[in-house]
Amino acid sequence: MPGLPSSVDLDECISRLYNKELLAESVIEAICAKTKELLMRESNVVHVKAPVTVVGDIHGQFYDLIEIFRIGGFCPDTNYLFLGDYVDRGMFSVETISLLVCLKLRYPDRLHLIRGNHESRGVTQSYGFYTECSRKYGNANVWHHFTDMFDYLTLSVVIDDRIFCVHGGLSPSIHSIDQIKIIDRFREIPHEGPMADLVWSDPDPERDEFSLSPRGAGYTFGSQVVKKFLDVNRMEHILRAHQLCQEGYQTLFDNQLSTVWSAPNYCYRCGNMASVLEVGENGERMFNVFEAAPENDQVKDMQMGQEKMEQGQLPDYFL
Amino acid sequence: MEPPPPTAATTAPARAPPHPPSSATSSTATSTAVTLPRLPILTPSQLASCSFGPLQKRINSGGPDVSFFLTSKAYNDLMTWIAQLNHAMVPRSSCDTKRPVTFPLPLEPNKREWSGPVGKLRGLLGKVEGLMDEAPPVEEDKNRRFGNGGCRVWHGLMRGRIGGWIEDLGVGGMVEGGGEGDGGGIKRGVLEEIKGYFLGGWGSESRLDYGTGHELSFLAFLGGLWKLGYFGEEGEKRGDGEVEREIVLGVVEPYLEVVRKLITTYTLEPAGSHGVWGLDDHSFVPYIFGSAQFTRPISAMKPEPTPVEGSCPGAPKPASVTNRQTVEEYRRTNMYFGAIGFIYDVKKGPFWEHSPMLFDISGIKDGWGKINKGMVKMYRAEVLGKFPVVQHFGFGGLWRWEVDEEMVGEGGLGEGEGVFIWRVSRGNKVKGREGRRRRGLWGAVVVLWGAWEGRRGAGGYA
Repeated sequence: MPGLPSSVDLDECISRLYNKELLAESVIEAICAKTKELLMRESNVVHVKAPVTVVGDIHGQFYDLIEIFRIGGFCPDTNYLFLGDYVDRGMFSVETISLLVCLKLRYPDRLHLIRGNHESRGVTQSYGFYTECSRKYGNANVWHHFTDMFDYLTLSVVIDDRIFCVHGGLSPSIHSIDQIKIIDRFREIPHEGPMADLVWSDPDPERDEFSLSPRGAGYTFGSQVVKKFLDVNRMEHILRAHQLCQEGYQTLFDNQLSTVWSAPNYCYRCGNMASVLEVGENGERMFNVFEAAPENDQVKDMQMGQEKMEQGQLPDYFL
Repeated sequence: MEPPPPTAATTAPARAPPHPPSSATSSTATSTAVTLPRLPILTPSQLASCSFGPLQKRINSGGPDVSFFLTSKAYNDLMTWIAQLNHAMVPRSSCDTKRPVTFPLPLEPNKREWSGPVGKLRGLLGKVEGLMDEAPPVEEDKNRRFGNGGCRVWHGLMRGRIGGWIEDLGVGGMVEGGGEGDGGGIKRGVLEEIKGYFLGGWGSESRLDYGTGHELSFLAFLGGLWKLGYFGEEGEKRGDGEVEREIVLGVVEPYLEVVRKLITTYTLEPAGSHGVWGLDDHSFVPYIFGSAQFTRPISAMKPEPTPVEGSCPGAPKPASVTNRQTVEEYRRTNMYFGAIGFIYDVKKGPFWEHSPMLFDISGIKDGWGKINKGMVKMYRAEVLGKFPVVQHFGFGGLWRWEVDEEMVGEGGLGEGEGVFIWRVSRGNKVKGREGRRRRGLWGAVVVLWGAWEGRRGAGGYA
């Protein structure tokens, strides 16, 4: 596999990104191309070993991502599995996904990235990432590089042959994990079918079976579905993200499924906690709960605000 | 600024013909005759010839259906309606006093004397709000996730009672005797449509979210009532936007307040918001009408288009939205500051970070008129021009899914600006100077949007 262009120094990129600096468009292009090559060789079901720290939705909350590394340890000292939804909603989706992709390239076996429903061209146009790329780079090229790369992200991970990890949940068209392996995943997330279900579905503790999801995509699935899936695939637990939990995590169905949510004070207003799930060597699971990073509260209105004002980023409607 | 109380201006209303003259699209229209936007009231024969009934969903794709919508009677009427309400909110200069007449929100709305129709609508909003006491948020949902299931109970209660409530408004009387022969059928159909738009104004029962599409539905409810002549007779007696102002100050703002209570009570999700990159998580129109409240005054004596720049003397600076104290000072009297105040209530963190677009807009130096003009343009493109927002809009006899052959008015923005926003950004031929400018970043946003036909309309969020 050919390396990155010599002009791109990954370690330098990473240290810039830790300081929340943007990378140049050409660098993003090269990094995304390289990441595609790497991801292309991953199966739709990646097997990893514990110990590993599992992270839920980030949604561009960069300061909180850094807080996660402070709490859980930095790469490569800690192994990480991210369950998707890196972008949209928050202010720093570009910085967040840039950092995660660079870390993935630098430590491919230490960090894994699953695809979430927001890693999609369609959704990112409605929920902020497209706008953010356009505003931070002046054009949509970076958005194209990232969303083209999203098509290669894996759909699921299995930890130590006992914990099945996915962004959203289960699908009525998937009984056995082997059925995931044959999905042609190198594409935009479709509107329906097993690939859509894996990134869109939600558990419903009040039901037994599958039913239509109020989200308009994917399904909700109940206790019998979970039990059967675990039995058929000889797994112990399903681990997923995709839904905000006020306490940062939630465990359902007699501890057979958990939701991990890693965006504290989601959208600057929910006042919710966040967590990461640490899976130990013997499969023990420990939720490490945290709240919004102190940087979110710093009074930087004045200085930062002044800088922004001078950049003149008014939308055209107001010119 | 201590705003003087609104006084009724004495000029005759500038009644527009049902279809404004075609010169209205030309940017030189203002130098000839000023036609103020005004939604025509349906005549008895029009009532008889329209077919009314349950609202029809027509916008099923982001490409052709949205394109069609933008040429439809419904679209043109909606823009006219918004422009009409907007124009009414602009302060008026007066010969008698040096101070312009402004139109602040009343500090004690319940003590003010409202016209009959507005009073009834306020009563209706009160009942809607009261339902929240009957459907408290579900305790077990409080820690669970976004969107409290208690809201579904609330929706259910409203569905159960809405029929009678709409009857109580006395809308039927507007229609009776209108059509010959099938008066009863028309009345049923009209009530069905009015009910549909009203019910559409409170968010999605299944997704437990709320956004500008729902807000649009409520405006369509009010515009539908206008078309039926519900506010009509008084509209003719009292000119110069008096009735429209009552609608905005006496109905739209209280509606927004009920919605805010709904959002906080049931933690409703923003429907399809762009996160920090959108204008506001839930609302749009308070920014239109609120900026109009602070705009440079226009003449009370002769028709004058909505200003496109300048502020009313005494209005706070746009930059003061980042000052909590100023926001507190104005949020009870101005709709823009009311909306900003709600953001401060629910969000934590620096304003520029959680609301970057409002922050950037606060840097505008050309006054509230400029902001108002931009808000209307943005509304056309980002609300009415966006498939995810308008896909749920229903059509019928009041808001019609038909090509507007005489589509010329474009809601009387004054100079015909922004008329071609959507078409221009689709990359077609650019008309006029406004179009040229539009090829910037936000234009590109819309271009791409248009290119993504058949995008998912799913309302998922996390």
